[in-house]
Amino acid sequence: MIELFHIWKQYQKPYWALSDVTLQINDGDFYFITGPSGSGKTTLLKTIFREILPTEGQILINGINILKVRDSRIYTLRRTMGLVFQDFRLMFHRTVFDNVAVPLQVIGVGRKEIRRRVFATLQKVNLHQKMWELPGRLSYGEQQRVAIARAVVNNPEIILADEPTGNLDPELAFEIITLFKEISKQGATVIIGSHDRELIRHFGDNILFLQKGKIVGKEAHR
Amino acid sequence: MIEKVKFFFRVTGNNLWQFRTRNLFSVTIICLSFLTVGIFVSLTNNLRDTARDLASNMSIAFYLDAKLSAGAVDAVRQEIARPAFVESVKLVSAVEALERFRLNFPELADVVAGLKTNPFPPSLEVRVNARASASKEVVAFVEGMKKRPGVTDVLFNQDWVEKMQGFSRLAGAIGAFLGGILILTSFFIISNVVKLNVFARKNEIEILRLVGGTNLFIRIPFWLEGITLGLLGSLLSLGLLFIVIQLFPVYLGASLGALQELLRFRYPDLTQAVALLVGGAATGFIGSATSVSKFLKV
Repeated sequence: MIELFHIWKQYQKPYWALSDVTLQINDGDFYFITGPSGSGKTTLLKTIFREILPTEGQILINGINILKVRDSRIYTLRRTMGLVFQDFRLMFHRTVFDNVAVPLQVIGVGRKEIRRRVFATLQKVNLHQKMWELPGRLSYGEQQRVAIARAVVNNPEIILADEPTGNLDPELAFEIITLFKEISKQGATVIIGSHDRELIRHFGDNILFLQKGKIVGKEAHR
Repeated sequence: MIEKVKFFFRVTGNNLWQFRTRNLFSVTIICLSFLTVGIFVSLTNNLRDTARDLASNMSIAFYLDAKLSAGAVDAVRQEIARPAFVESVKLVSAVEALERFRLNFPELADVVAGLKTNPFPPSLEVRVNARASASKEVVAFVEGMKKRPGVTDVLFNQDWVEKMQGFSRLAGAIGAFLGGILILTSFFIISNVVKLNVFARKNEIEILRLVGGTNLFIRIPFWLEGITLGLLGSLLSLGLLFIVIQLFPVYLGASLGALQELLRFRYPDLTQAVALLVGGAATGFIGSATSVSKFLKV
């Protein structure tokens, strides 16, 4: 379970990127965070992931206050999460395979098992034929799928995806969100930051509306 | 665990290859630095061995008054043989001394033949044990014997031994000084090369952090990189040192004349060779560790 209590985040005075955000996300929830550009979607996801620290507030993941734990717990926590960044964050001098394999290498999975899991995951995002290509030679859409494959290859408990379909055509975007949905059905919590209304309408079990860093609405359709 | 080790080596190999030009540059600098150290180690070895040879062969000649009776000569002999550092005492009579001169300088045979009296005094040749050869004890003993009635002169090649030991110490000091500066330079170069590599891979480091890579997991490939660069540099320097030792006498040895003996290079012994390699690896490791810890806040 992910619990956020009165989260405030300020990058620069006098603007608040997040204002008093309180939220509870249950295990296995499929959550959309939506809102216009600059509404705080990315900041909220980064805060949950502890890539950035909030100015005020507390965040509990499975009862652990992630703002107060030691670094060693953060590494363990991050290994249970899969992330898709808006800017992909791929290693451009490493092959698609190497990029997707990173989360498995970090936890010391054997080479054969890495090959098997990376191939299976790349098949799911329809990129298995480009496994040995460098990301620089792929289209934006394909790069995004590499980032998605990297996020899900480790069967994470939580997936945080920031605009994961931003560069994909509607058909592929639909497929990717379907993939996230399947992962969610297997028990993973999926939180997607998006402003794609069509997708949100189709898949949104839980929707959180943000505006200027504030929660302005919540919808639950399940 | 084994998988992680394999991964570290694979990543290190990839990284070394990816930035091969700047890595080659840093290996070259390390190699030249350690080559300089190696050359001085080799020279110091030679000077130290030469000094040791001189010391172990050192003899003191006590020239005696030709008019001394056999009993008096024996008394001097007993007195000289008393200290513990004296290994042997040999009496060289005036006739034996003349014979030696004749054998050593055959070109002066005519001069010797023309002599009416034997100009050589009898002497006592003393061999001193190598450890005490140039010690204060021996010097004090020699000084004391110089004043003894019946002893007319003393020939003592202590100066040479001291000079040789001095040269050896000087070469060692120059080597340590130059080597120290160059190793320090290597250290900064490795540090900067690794720093550049860290900057170039900032994105990758960030990704590793975000997928749960620990500080150690991220740092180990950089440490291995530094160690490999240092080890390669010092290994190469050892190879070059052996080539220098082989080729130096062929190309420059003859032109050095009398200095040839002093400037002869000797191969470093196993301990010195291992020390050079370990030194290279340590320089690489420290260089990379400092730059990684400074510029890799994870």
